[in-house]
Amino acid sequence: MMTASLNAYVIVSAVLFAIGFFGVLVRRNTLIVFMSLELMLIASTLALVAFSRVNGTMDGNVFVFFILTVAAAEVAVGLAIIVALFRRRHTVQIDQLDTLKN
Amino acid sequence: MDISVLQTLASRNLWGAITPEILLGGLALVLLVIELLFPKEHARIVPVATLVGLVTILGGVVFNAPSAYLKQETFNGLLLHSHGGQVMRVFFLLSAIMVCVIARVSLAKQSLPRVEFYHIVLVVTAAMMLLAQSNHLVLFFVALETVTIGLYILVSYYRTSLTLEAGLKYLVMGALSSSLMLFGIVLLYGVAGNPVLPAHTAQSMHYGQLAAFLAANPHNFLASIGIVLVLAGVAFKIGAFPFQIWVPDVYQGAPTPVTAFLAVSSKAVGFTALLALAGTVFASYAWLVAPVLTFFAATTLLFGNFAALTQHNVKRLIGLSGVSHAGFLLLGVAAVSRAPMAVGAIYFYLFAYLLASFAVFGVMAHLAGANDADQELDHYAGLAKDRPFLALVLALGLGSLAGIPPLVGFMGKLFIFIAAFQAGLYGLLAIAVIGVVVSIYYYFGWIKAAFFETWGKSADTPAHPERTSVDFVTGFALSALALAVVVLGFYQGPLGTWLSGR
Repeated sequence: MMTASLNAYVIVSAVLFAIGFFGVLVRRNTLIVFMSLELMLIASTLALVAFSRVNGTMDGNVFVFFILTVAAAEVAVGLAIIVALFRRRHTVQIDQLDTLKN
Repeated sequence: MDISVLQTLASRNLWGAITPEILLGGLALVLLVIELLFPKEHARIVPVATLVGLVTILGGVVFNAPSAYLKQETFNGLLLHSHGGQVMRVFFLLSAIMVCVIARVSLAKQSLPRVEFYHIVLVVTAAMMLLAQSNHLVLFFVALETVTIGLYILVSYYRTSLTLEAGLKYLVMGALSSSLMLFGIVLLYGVAGNPVLPAHTAQSMHYGQLAAFLAANPHNFLASIGIVLVLAGVAFKIGAFPFQIWVPDVYQGAPTPVTAFLAVSSKAVGFTALLALAGTVFASYAWLVAPVLTFFAATTLLFGNFAALTQHNVKRLIGLSGVSHAGFLLLGVAAVSRAPMAVGAIYFYLFAYLLASFAVFGVMAHLAGANDADQELDHYAGLAKDRPFLALVLALGLGSLAGIPPLVGFMGKLFIFIAAFQAGLYGLLAIAVIGVVVSIYYYFGWIKAAFFETWGKSADTPAHPERTSVDFVTGFALSALALAVVVLGFYQGPLGTWLSGR
């Protein structure tokens, strides 16, 4: 059976993280931005599990549960804010959310 | 049962170490029960219960300041009860009390459920107090996220279009910074536990073990990326220069008490984290951390002060001036490695900033109308004639923020500058002095609006919002703040000794 090396996992997670990061910066739809944010958290989770296996310590695996919980809370609050905002403005495009200006 | 058995049990009961945090959580739950039990007409009981509870807990923490757990690790090294942790506990409790006092004024102008606001403030404060004592990256991350997610809700609490927009911006920026920090933590965990490297450790997220590993591998590539990512995440929270873009918008859109909470507590959270990480854990990576901190401090000082010059909305103004205060504090953090007195100076500066900021925010809450985001400098015209008490508190608060002697803000800046001088950071010191001079200009523009401009009753200028009268509790709190701003400037006394102690 072929096993992937630690480097492969770290590179994949770094690539996923970069995709998420640039997604947040580039995409204009709030929901896609939100998905990109989640992708960044998941990328960290993948690296964490890989490190945990190579290092032989369980801390990383346990930390994953905390990250998932935090991500769930963030999604719950975030989607509530997005829905409430959509009710007021009828748009979730970032370009059109620019009322706060001096 | 024998009494010695009970004593043994009590001595092993580590929960006693976090009694104030547990009490805060309990108080938050009690509030929900109070809301259920009492009819709507008695809604005023909720803020009163919150304030009484907070003052009681604060009293308990102050009288137990040399706690039995001091300098001990509890919960398998998750927490370390340091002197700084005690100081920050008091800081966050004071800040929560003032946020609740301001919220009483501000929430009265909205038709919204009240109890959730106080509930979330209490939970977030408990998380901040845990974070100030955290000694493990997992607890650090979880506590920080509790703080941040609570603040997402508070920022969008008024559910107007502007407030929700501010909430969304804070959410995206906050989640981005948390992800950066998390990836940094993951890299540090992976590298420090790697069996191939020297001094690898099984507990690679524990601060002490991580510091030992970093000292043994002072030039590891992945570890340095991890450190930069963690520092970038913290820089988002404190609003340091390249990561300050969210500050003006979010400060303007958030309800006034939440703006105060963000400006004081949330910033202080970032600095406690920075002191613990940059000052001790990453100490052996000074070749990397020192230039990063110097860059943050210099650019933050310059940007905050010059951007604040052009603002007319007072909430944006205080947000950007808060960025410049973060710059002064970063100057202190940059000095920590070579001048140990900088730690005490940072704590003192934070307390001075707390007193002066809440004085200003308290006045702002009285002047705001139903549209909380619309608070212009013009609305302050004629304040000295109309409300001399509020004008006096405002002048003392702003004077202290500007660093006018003999107010407490001046002493705070002086201590930071002395520490920076001892550390030999002459370039940064010069930038900081320029920053002080610029900041006096915009703070005095605000004071001028309150004292020397009268309200023109012409047709094209809209009337300012109704100014709320000051009730007893708020008046007492604002007088106490104003008095502390003056007295602590002359005489630091036991507070100064306590803050700079170890």
